[in-house]
Amino acid sequence: MISPGNNAEPEKTDDCVLSVSGVTRTIAYHKILKGVSFDLMRGDALAVVGPNGAGKTTLLRVLTGLSRATTGKVDLRGSQGFVGHSSMLYDALSAEENLKFFSHLHGVAGNGVVANVLEMVGLEDRKHDRVATFSRGMTQRMSIARALLSDPELLYLDEPLSGLDDRSSTAVIGILRSLRSRGHAIVFVTHNFSAVAALATRVGYLVGGKMVLIEKVEERSAEQISERYREVVEHV
Amino acid sequence: MYNLFGAAFRIAAKDIAIELRTRTAFMSALVFAILVLAILYFARDPTSVGAADIAPGALWVTFTFAAMIGLNRAFLLEKENAAIDGLILTDVSKSAIFIGKVLGNLAFVFVVEFVSLPLFVLFYNLDITAQIPGLILVIVLATVAFVSVGTLLSSMVVRTRFAELMLPLLLLPFLVPPIVSAVQVTSRLLAGRPLSEVTGWLNLLGGFDVAFVTLSILLFEATLAE
Repeated sequence: MISPGNNAEPEKTDDCVLSVSGVTRTIAYHKILKGVSFDLMRGDALAVVGPNGAGKTTLLRVLTGLSRATTGKVDLRGSQGFVGHSSMLYDALSAEENLKFFSHLHGVAGNGVVANVLEMVGLEDRKHDRVATFSRGMTQRMSIARALLSDPELLYLDEPLSGLDDRSSTAVIGILRSLRSRGHAIVFVTHNFSAVAALATRVGYLVGGKMVLIEKVEERSAEQISERYREVVEHV
Repeated sequence: MYNLFGAAFRIAAKDIAIELRTRTAFMSALVFAILVLAILYFARDPTSVGAADIAPGALWVTFTFAAMIGLNRAFLLEKENAAIDGLILTDVSKSAIFIGKVLGNLAFVFVVEFVSLPLFVLFYNLDITAQIPGLILVIVLATVAFVSVGTLLSSMVVRTRFAELMLPLLLLPFLVPPIVSAVQVTSRLLAGRPLSEVTGWLNLLGGFDVAFVTLSILLFEATLAE
């Protein structure tokens, strides 16, 4: 048996921005998610870790509404932003044109919202450049800028540091930490335990479609989290 | 929520801006249109087949196949970088996304048609001055019909492996009724018959427009579901 190291679930309060209960997702008779439940508070950052094929990306897509849950309930209290595997941007348009386009569709155009998010991700000096000319790190920061346009209470990220070098990873972690400190809630899927240690307040272990354990990260190092992950996966 | 037509125009404007920058689909469609017009013109024996007899068919073959190039590309643009997910996650309705894509495609096809029509007149040496209003009417009605259903099917097949093959296959049954009507109207207009003689065909085309646009808007959301 795996013992919950420390408190698995926070007490539900008015600060709750997301409540997930008993979510399942079945595709072609194959159960990808098997009754996932958790709550998320403002300023909370939940890292979802698990082996390949555990259902992490599917979970994010169900939470965002891009996929439907077969059963269960996702209760979102506020607005959401999503940074996926792909940038969800148009390569032929410039950074500013992309953000202006999406800001209009979010109904938040004007009031310098595009300039604000560009400044937040440190791309204001590249705003006239086409996204096609951006490096992977810059594209990832642009994706975060796009997701932040509507100033969402909750931000989902699917492997936000995948393919990034140390400098870009540090920049992205810095942006996300600053968001968390301002009360944004974050759910991110990752294989990177350094990111879990640097950003997460809680870590959820998703194995075979089941959220087998959610526990606080506290002051644990990446190595300690990695060790704990191996222990959890081996015992499932 | 951002209003439906405001969002639709934004999406269409974005598609047009991207096409103006890349010009890939437009150039392909235009070269294709010129090629088809030229081949059909030179394949004709002028001593046995009059220009006015073959012209309506040549015109609609050109328009239809050139449009297919644009329709094929319509949702490939949204598939790249999963931009369609970005659209879905905004506050706009699925209908606004569909109408925006249809407007973008219509702009593309109308430009191709606008450029091809003078070439068609030149190749077949036709005097269409008196028929211009009628021709414009039939071109608009038929184009709206096949672009609306083509946009719907394009969003449906874009996730399949053989999207470029599947679109013409699926579109064919929906394409036949409006194109047959359009050819009938065009041949009568080019023969110098009055517009009043083709009112029935035009009403039929109008009916196809209403039916295809309405059904496509209603069905579009289902094509986005995973």
